[in-house]
Amino acid sequence: MTEVIRDIYLTNAQQKKEWAAFLADLGLANFSEQELGGIEAIIGLYDDDRLVGTGAIAGQIIKYVAVCDRGAETKGARFNRVITALENRLATLGRFHHFVFTKPRYIASFEHIGFRLLAESDLGAILEKGSPDVTQYLADLPKPTSEMQRVAAVVINANPFTNGHRYLVTQAARENERVYVFVVTQDASLFHTSERLDLVKAGLADLPNVVVVGGGDYMVSYLTFPAYFMPADASVIDYQTTLDARLFKNLIAPACHITTRYVGDEPQSRTTAIYNATLARELAPEIKLVVVPRLQTADHTGVISARTVRQAIAAGKRHDWVDLVPATTDQWLQDHLASLQERIRKGQEIHGN
Amino acid sequence: MAAEERLRRTMMFVPGNNPAMIKDAGIFGADSIMFDLEDAVSLAEKDAARYLIYEALQTVDYGDAELVVRINGLDTPFYQNDIKAMVKAGIDVIRLPKVESAEMIHTLETLVAEAEQTFGREIGTTHLMAAIESARGVVNANEIAQASDRMIGIALSAEDYTTDMKTHRYPDGQELLYARNVILHAARAAGIAAFDTVFTDLNDEAGFYRETELIHQLGFDGKSLINPRQIDMVNQVYQPTQKEILTAQNVIAAIEAARQKGSGVIAMNGQMVDRPVVLRAERVMRLAKANHLVDSEGNYIEK
Amino acid sequence: MEIKQTAIAGTLESSDVQIMLSQSHDGVTFDLVSDVAKQFDDAIKATITQVLAAYDVHNVLVKVVDKGALDMVIRARAITAVQRALDLADEPNWEVL
Repeated sequence: MTEVIRDIYLTNAQQKKEWAAFLADLGLANFSEQELGGIEAIIGLYDDDRLVGTGAIAGQIIKYVAVCDRGAETKGARFNRVITALENRLATLGRFHHFVFTKPRYIASFEHIGFRLLAESDLGAILEKGSPDVTQYLADLPKPTSEMQRVAAVVINANPFTNGHRYLVTQAARENERVYVFVVTQDASLFHTSERLDLVKAGLADLPNVVVVGGGDYMVSYLTFPAYFMPADASVIDYQTTLDARLFKNLIAPACHITTRYVGDEPQSRTTAIYNATLARELAPEIKLVVVPRLQTADHTGVISARTVRQAIAAGKRHDWVDLVPATTDQWLQDHLASLQERIRKGQEIHGN
Repeated sequence: MAAEERLRRTMMFVPGNNPAMIKDAGIFGADSIMFDLEDAVSLAEKDAARYLIYEALQTVDYGDAELVVRINGLDTPFYQNDIKAMVKAGIDVIRLPKVESAEMIHTLETLVAEAEQTFGREIGTTHLMAAIESARGVVNANEIAQASDRMIGIALSAEDYTTDMKTHRYPDGQELLYARNVILHAARAAGIAAFDTVFTDLNDEAGFYRETELIHQLGFDGKSLINPRQIDMVNQVYQPTQKEILTAQNVIAAIEAARQKGSGVIAMNGQMVDRPVVLRAERVMRLAKANHLVDSEGNYIEK
Repeated sequence: MEIKQTAIAGTLESSDVQIMLSQSHDGVTFDLVSDVAKQFDDAIKATITQVLAAYDVHNVLVKVVDKGALDMVIRARAITAVQRALDLADEPNWEVL
């Protein structure tokens, strides 16, 4: 056996060219610099000096898996070798739970080596492998009692928690016996996941029928779904939001008997409009989607947005945020203003969603 | 020296963490099977390979093949546990890589003896061999070959050696000529086996034959191999001619005749048959049988 | 003994098996994907359970992807995984081998 696994460095221009050409040959030609930027490690499987397989690691996501079976001893052997190498690499990084986003026709190949399908659409699929997995995540969620008929869910990033979020949850709490608030796990935000979770819990502590939980790895902000394997003309947002919606509908909602999902409307964002439209289409008929108009600011000059709060933090103007957030968030902001401003100075992006 | 006379034409390398190859390693007819815990195993899998080989040695039937394991070097954190596990598993031979002095063999011998004691294996039954991979190793080949009664052979490992010599491998092998001769002489003087290095270009069959014929001509016992396809090729080069077999059969007949007469002196064609001749005859007959060149009555089989 | 850390051993290549061990509180539970026929599932589980018991591990989630491994391979991979999970890789338990 002369096939060996070697590291590939995109900083080596010649290697990057060879790698991109190999992927392009196999139909993966959609390279966005943003997506490539998130890659931590790339491995190549070489038959002598010919690249015959590759795969990459970005956080807990396996990406850019491509294998050429030409000249292989048995079909699938190279694929299994590449995935083994990636999984062993993840293990040395202390990561034992990972995801792959792929074309639907490769679902079976991944299932064959222990991956579990979480959601699929015509354009793409998400699978996971390892531990703790979705079964354990769902088992750990507090379950509604059997008497509860109306159970709702709200998914928020809360970067940070504002009166707008509270308004949305309050609406849901009024109309349901229980409301699950899933806080998206994503440390790319100005506020860390644990901070956002704590602020949401503090800001909703007075509502007895609200349960605040971390979204785990299953409330991925749909914007982080990889899109490198999509054809350039495909609707990436549609693929991303469809998978997100189906994962929620098929796995999360049944575990907690969720019947309604609440979202805020976003007249200014085309992306959010598409997301909400996709949710409405995908969740029906089992799950109802309620779109709640965004809460206006007290002076009716616009809607309350977390972005405005972040900009006020950057400027150090409490006056600009105090009316937009609950007292709990306000207090926390005052206590941590210096460290938040430090994060912004170090380059934390604050203008996104 | 611990080397009982046996054929060691082919020593096949088997990557230590590959179950498919480990499971099938016995079916190709290699004289020796060398399980590799060193270069063929990545750092993160050293423990995995060690236990895989351990379990394989407990359960897989490798027939008459001599079982060798290449452990990790003295300067690695895997060295001591490799020794313990392999001694406990009852391996025939431990091959130490990158040997440069007799002292390295002495250190190994002490640890092997301790492990034999710990795991209740008869002291002295684990044999050793050294791989010479540097100029220092070649210069000290004599003391290395004679460093222990457990030694059964020394081997040249050309990749690291040529790097150390500031050269690389060439098709004609001139760069290895000195090392090959030194190692061969050290082995012969110590009464142990000499193994030649691997030939890595699987597509160059002519080159492989050229190199194998050269080391056969020099007097090596055999060659390290990375692919089972190379086994038959080596055996072909090492097979004796019909004339050599006939001579060997006559020597053995003379021994038998002397034994029946109760004579301590073996004579043939009016000449005394001395010990090297007897040994060579025995070796030729082993080769002839291994290559299926004689039937059970000793008749030469035309191919 | 309790699992100290999640650990994985083995590969997805033919004749091998990949075993992942992680913490659990309700006994030894299996999640098994295999290339070979279902009737071998029990044999695979029995071999792994035996190794776990030898290390006194009784609460663990075991995820297995089998690629047609022989019993000796399953044993070797289970030993490797459990030693890694118990952080014994540098000082193996020689009695179990």
